[in-house]
Amino acid sequence: MKRRTLLAFMLDRPGVLNKVSMLIRRKMYNVDTLTVCSSRIKGISRMTITLKEDDPRKVEQVMKQLAKLVEVISVKELDTNNSYWREVAIVKLEIEAARLDEFHHRYNFEVLDKKSEDMHILQVAGATGHIDGFLDEIGRENIIEIARTGVSAMEK
Amino acid sequence: MTGKTLVLRALKDLGVRYLFGYTGGAIMPIFDEIERFDDMTFLMARHEQGAAFMAQGLTRGALSTDRPELGVCLSTSGPGAMNLVTGIADAHMDSVAMLAITGQVATGVIATDAFQESDVVGVMMPICKQTYMPLSPEEVESTVHEAFYVAKTGRGGPVLIDIPKDIQNNETPADYEFAAENFTPQLPGFLYSPNPETDAIKRAADLINRSERPLLFCGHGVINANAGALLRKFAEKMNIPIAFTLHGLSALPLDHPLSLGMMGMHGTVESNRAIMEADLLIALGMRFDDRVTGKLNEYAKNADVIHVEIDSSEINKNVATSVAINADVARTLEALLDEPMLTYKPRRRWFSMIEEFRTVMAADLEEEISRGTGSGGKLLMKSIVHQLSELTGGRDLIVPDVGQHQMMAARFYNYQTENSWFASGGAGTMGASLPMAIGVKLARPNERVWSISGDGGFQMNIQELGTVMEYGIDIKILILNNGHLGMVRQWQTFFFDERYAGTPMRSPNFGLIAEAYGITYLKVEKLEDVKPALEAAIAHTGAIVVEFVCEPNEFILPMIPAGGGFNDMITSFSMNSPDTDEADQGGAS
Repeated sequence: MKRRTLLAFMLDRPGVLNKVSMLIRRKMYNVDTLTVCSSRIKGISRMTITLKEDDPRKVEQVMKQLAKLVEVISVKELDTNNSYWREVAIVKLEIEAARLDEFHHRYNFEVLDKKSEDMHILQVAGATGHIDGFLDEIGRENIIEIARTGVSAMEK
Repeated sequence: MTGKTLVLRALKDLGVRYLFGYTGGAIMPIFDEIERFDDMTFLMARHEQGAAFMAQGLTRGALSTDRPELGVCLSTSGPGAMNLVTGIADAHMDSVAMLAITGQVATGVIATDAFQESDVVGVMMPICKQTYMPLSPEEVESTVHEAFYVAKTGRGGPVLIDIPKDIQNNETPADYEFAAENFTPQLPGFLYSPNPETDAIKRAADLINRSERPLLFCGHGVINANAGALLRKFAEKMNIPIAFTLHGLSALPLDHPLSLGMMGMHGTVESNRAIMEADLLIALGMRFDDRVTGKLNEYAKNADVIHVEIDSSEINKNVATSVAINADVARTLEALLDEPMLTYKPRRRWFSMIEEFRTVMAADLEEEISRGTGSGGKLLMKSIVHQLSELTGGRDLIVPDVGQHQMMAARFYNYQTENSWFASGGAGTMGASLPMAIGVKLARPNERVWSISGDGGFQMNIQELGTVMEYGIDIKILILNNGHLGMVRQWQTFFFDERYAGTPMRSPNFGLIAEAYGITYLKVEKLEDVKPALEAAIAHTGAIVVEFVCEPNEFILPMIPAGGGFNDMITSFSMNSPDTDEADQGGAS
């Protein structure tokens, strides 16, 4: 299924997040990621929603119904090839320092804490695919705990 | 000033004359203020659901008058608010602007499971156009004004304001000011664009000119835009036949030569066959509900679609559109009437096809209506509705309930008055009729209002006879009693091998019930008594209940089974039933 990214701007009023998530549930999607933050303009929030849907007509329906919410100011779908998708992951890993060094030149991460010789807390930032690639390579079985922010996106 | 005063001041400034509701702990302060506003009349419903339907009836009845107004209902927190839910969900489905004001427990105890506390905003959010909870008395007035604006702007819908009790009682700061006349809601995302784009009108005109078999669809949007006369003018000018959705009925006279009557599951053969044959549908203010389209992939396969709809999320939702016009129906019809490119066509072949479709069931229906009774000698609903139509010249206001009798009322009353049909459509709420008729009567005091129910639906809000009694509401209440939930029974006959699970029902003595409420009552068992009873109801001043003993084996035909296509249309009862599994999609109502 194709991953879609919807970017919406809306009035920062109580219950808006509730309405958006309720609408997406009613349309029978499971939200992949949903991030909310303040926008450049005071009182207006920026929401990035990712979900999986192949049919463009269904995506259009979700967008129109989102746009219909009284608080929602605009909704658009971001073109995957023409936008930046970024997220941050904090990962607690059981890995030896020497092995970790092998990844330094290929992945953009920062060691936040070294708990012991083979226990590190890292911060990885970048595109979703970049983070997934890092985790795959380093071995997901080595992850003790992980926190990911979900996607924030912007058009190029 | 206190929050409670500001609620009422705002309602008064907005021209509200009627408040429907039921008091209780958390709304007491607002009720206490009503007395001080003598230009507003309070009507106590006997159940909050009744109040919600009365509010709907008022909005719907008034929208075609020179004094459009919004229905407002009030209830207390918890169970009071929960009892509003069905009436509000119904208004949401049928695009009816209304305002519900609920009392809420005090802010200090919200979310502690206080006595009579429910998360009203949480429950109402998906069934309201907008919900509010003011958290200070100075927010109250602007909230009520914004709520009205949102409810009635664009596609209508219900709006809820949940007001905690302390906010009702608290005082605004001394310097509080609010000027109603200068109020503009700050809603940058709530856009309303009534005017059609010129380019879309050109493209629509081009499609219409090229079409040989066009068909106009008259939806609820035509009624809501008071565009019946414009539609008539356009249809006559262009010589295009018109089919009506359930809610489009009464936009123009049903017996107009271009009218094909109602479309959809229980629509006329001529409208549904015309849809199958049409090469262009011009859909005005409608949403292509499943009861209209049947199986989508078989629907109107040969037709281009021009879809005029105020709510853009309805465009391309169910049916792919060739020309989308996201605008008000009246403005669009005006633009089309001004479009010089459009040319008249005689469409002789198209109309001769339609004349043929008209004959398919005509003889059967005529025979049933003139026979008037079933094999057991009990009355046929078709015939009762037909006689009512003849007697009133089709000019009265009809408020049906939901079910078989509703479809009879939709099909066999000859609507002449614009905006004279008030049904629960999308939600299909049994029990809607009696309270909705009360609201309609208040909006249209000089017209005759008929509430028509089955024995099932009537008992769902039977308590509103108390409201009728107390306020002397002059409505004519007809009960078409066939001892069953007729519509579900029809499905059982067709698709469930005549297993009548949960549909037969015994009714109380409606005569004694009417008497208990001090309402005149007549019972009709014989065909020859139908007309005299209806005449007596007309002659009687004040409310009257007339019960008709009806035939349970009467069917509303044609019928397109749920999930079926127009080719599956059942036109006579003795034919083989279609596949039950397929017919089962969608549920009966």
